[in-house]
Amino acid sequence: MKCKVCGKEAIIVYCKSHEEAYENLVKGYEEWKRALNLSWKKYLNEVIKNEYSGSWVKEVAEQLLKGEE
Amino acid sequence: MAWMEKYTLIITEKPEAAQRIAQALDYRGKPEKDAERKVPYFRAHRDKELIIVPALGHLYTVVHEQGTRNYYPVFNFKWVPRYLAERNAKNIRTWIEVISRLAQNAEEFIHACDYDLEGSLIGYCVLKYACQGKEKNAKRMKFSTLTKEELEKAYEGLLPQLDFEQIEAGTTRHEVDWLYGVNLSRALTLAAKRWSGKYATLSTGRVQGPTLKFLVEREEGIQSFVPIPYWEVRTEVELQGSVYEVEYEKKRIESKAEAEAIVEACQGKTGEITEVELKEFRQAPPVPFDLGSLQAEAYSFFGYTPRQTLNIAERLYLQALISYPRTSSQKLPPVINYRSILSSLSRERNYKELAQGLLERAELKPNEGKKEDPAHPAVYPTGNLSENPLSDPEKRIWDLVVRRFMAVFGEPAVKQSIRVNIEVNGHLFYLRGRRVLEDGWTRFYEPYIRSEEVLLPPLQKGEKAQLRKVVREDKFTNPPARYNPSSLLKKMEDEGIGTKATRADIIETLYSRGYIADRRIVVTSLGFDVTEVLNEYCPNVVSVELTRDLEEKMEKIQNDREKRENVLLEAVDILKPALEGLKEREETIGEVLSDAIKRAKMQERIIGRCLQCGTGNLMILFSRKTGKRFIGCTNYFKGLCKNSFPLPQRGTLKPVQKNCNACEWPLIEVRTKGGRPWRFCFNPNCPSREAREKRS
Repeated sequence: MKCKVCGKEAIIVYCKSHEEAYENLVKGYEEWKRALNLSWKKYLNEVIKNEYSGSWVKEVAEQLLKGEE
Repeated sequence: MAWMEKYTLIITEKPEAAQRIAQALDYRGKPEKDAERKVPYFRAHRDKELIIVPALGHLYTVVHEQGTRNYYPVFNFKWVPRYLAERNAKNIRTWIEVISRLAQNAEEFIHACDYDLEGSLIGYCVLKYACQGKEKNAKRMKFSTLTKEELEKAYEGLLPQLDFEQIEAGTTRHEVDWLYGVNLSRALTLAAKRWSGKYATLSTGRVQGPTLKFLVEREEGIQSFVPIPYWEVRTEVELQGSVYEVEYEKKRIESKAEAEAIVEACQGKTGEITEVELKEFRQAPPVPFDLGSLQAEAYSFFGYTPRQTLNIAERLYLQALISYPRTSSQKLPPVINYRSILSSLSRERNYKELAQGLLERAELKPNEGKKEDPAHPAVYPTGNLSENPLSDPEKRIWDLVVRRFMAVFGEPAVKQSIRVNIEVNGHLFYLRGRRVLEDGWTRFYEPYIRSEEVLLPPLQKGEKAQLRKVVREDKFTNPPARYNPSSLLKKMEDEGIGTKATRADIIETLYSRGYIADRRIVVTSLGFDVTEVLNEYCPNVVSVELTRDLEEKMEKIQNDREKRENVLLEAVDILKPALEGLKEREETIGEVLSDAIKRAKMQERIIGRCLQCGTGNLMILFSRKTGKRFIGCTNYFKGLCKNSFPLPQRGTLKPVQKNCNACEWPLIEVRTKGGRPWRFCFNPNCPSREAREKRS
């Protein structure tokens, strides 16, 4: 199976790098929710806009948003 | 040569050192300079006739015993003159021939290269190979500075034989590094070549691999980083007519609602001082410079990379202005004669007052660090003043070394920190102050001190403080900081990989191979893929633990607690299964690496974003009709964007990641064979172009 973001060999859905980014994204949501009480979709948009977000995280967030559309 | 009597042949590491030694040992201080086929050497007259001839760094190197470059593993090696192994080392042949000829009439031999692993090995190889087995009865000159006094002392007290343990350690290090470098680099290069049919050098090495791994791990942390929001509350208070910034008791407020509630509770309120805490602390003087700390300080104040600092420090050493810089010692033994150095330094206007102040003391005791080096003391100024004008970088590094030397003899600095607690409607704010009570050692090191005083008036408990505007600041946690060449060198030092002499070069190699880029280090996709391959198929060779372990064993050879043969066998034991693993999966690895090389080459051609269509990138493209190159948008061949610019058709081109001073467009560098590289701006309307045309 290929990574949904970059097409490299996937572990489950993503390759090793994007899988790690996905896990961090899921973990991070708990803290964002506590701090700002926002929805998953809004959270993903905020992460994409944020200058400190890693590029793999942004790529996964963009892919997740596309999946939701 | 007309001069046929017997003489003593002294071998040095570099021509500059040969000149210094000749000047110091000649009884008139005026040795005769001679040269044979452009190889310089010096004749000095002392108790006997001396000929001082330099090497040119390493004249010998390790190569594969026999066979071609197209296979691995290779575990059999031999030492040969460098001109047989390297294309650009033709001059080494003449050099060795001249030394061999000078050796024929010599009756005594003295090894006077730098006293460390590399220096000892350089001189040993020259004596063994170029002088036909003279290493066994040669004597050794040991010194840490190139001053006349120390060189004369070293010559009078020659060590009766060479430092064979150090030589064995140096030999082993070169051989182990060769085994790692040649085998792993061939495995990677050949895998990529067999897959793609194209040749591109891919290298890795015993220390290079684990170092790149640190960087990859950090890059992974940055690229998969999710920032977390938090808030800070800040305000200003008015006290005794002045305004001060104060901070809220909690540095990080984790919810926006809580931060807003604090702002609302404190806005427009008056606070009261509930406590004034004063703390006095003493700051000990810094410890003397070892090479690593000198490199870190030079990066921090002047932005010099570790390699640049080492080069500058070596030039200062060769001018006899500072002691030998490749040292891990933080000790300054009394034998270097502190008073004599300070007294000499006091001849320099800038240091006169400070040095004289120290000389007035009854006792001088440096604040030494823990690190030791059996071969050399910490870096210190010799006290000599420069005979020739120094370049700006040399002046800076010399000043840093001189001031650090004086600072280590200074008294501790005494500082006071003040924390004032201000309570506002049930919330606590801190006002912080800082001042210097006694400057101590800091006055010697003044330009290199980073500390700001925040002076507060005398404040009392119960005093009222009017709050100005209270503000909520939106913040996010930051990703891990990127390494820079200096912090990476520190990391290598802390992890115990590489040596003081090799770390800076390893970092430069990572840049030159295209594995990393920029001052704030970014790992390229090629760097990622090479590390991924090594990590997956031979994790042992990039293991920090195993690298450190091998490093420690090599150090033990120096103390005669380990044997060269054991270390070499261990290296082969690690490499054998690793290379088998790489060979078994050569096809897969070849595909991954070929893709990475292709991507890296594409990346090298990218210049920047296309401002015309906004979706593509500008890059160097080739016309499908004529084959001529030009700058065009990546959407050019899709017919979506026609943005394009002409390019010169001769020489190699490279975007330099710098912008034109006149118009801010990216610059391109052109290199032609035999010509000096030049840069140009491809903006047809660039003001600099107009100015150039007018001039011509």
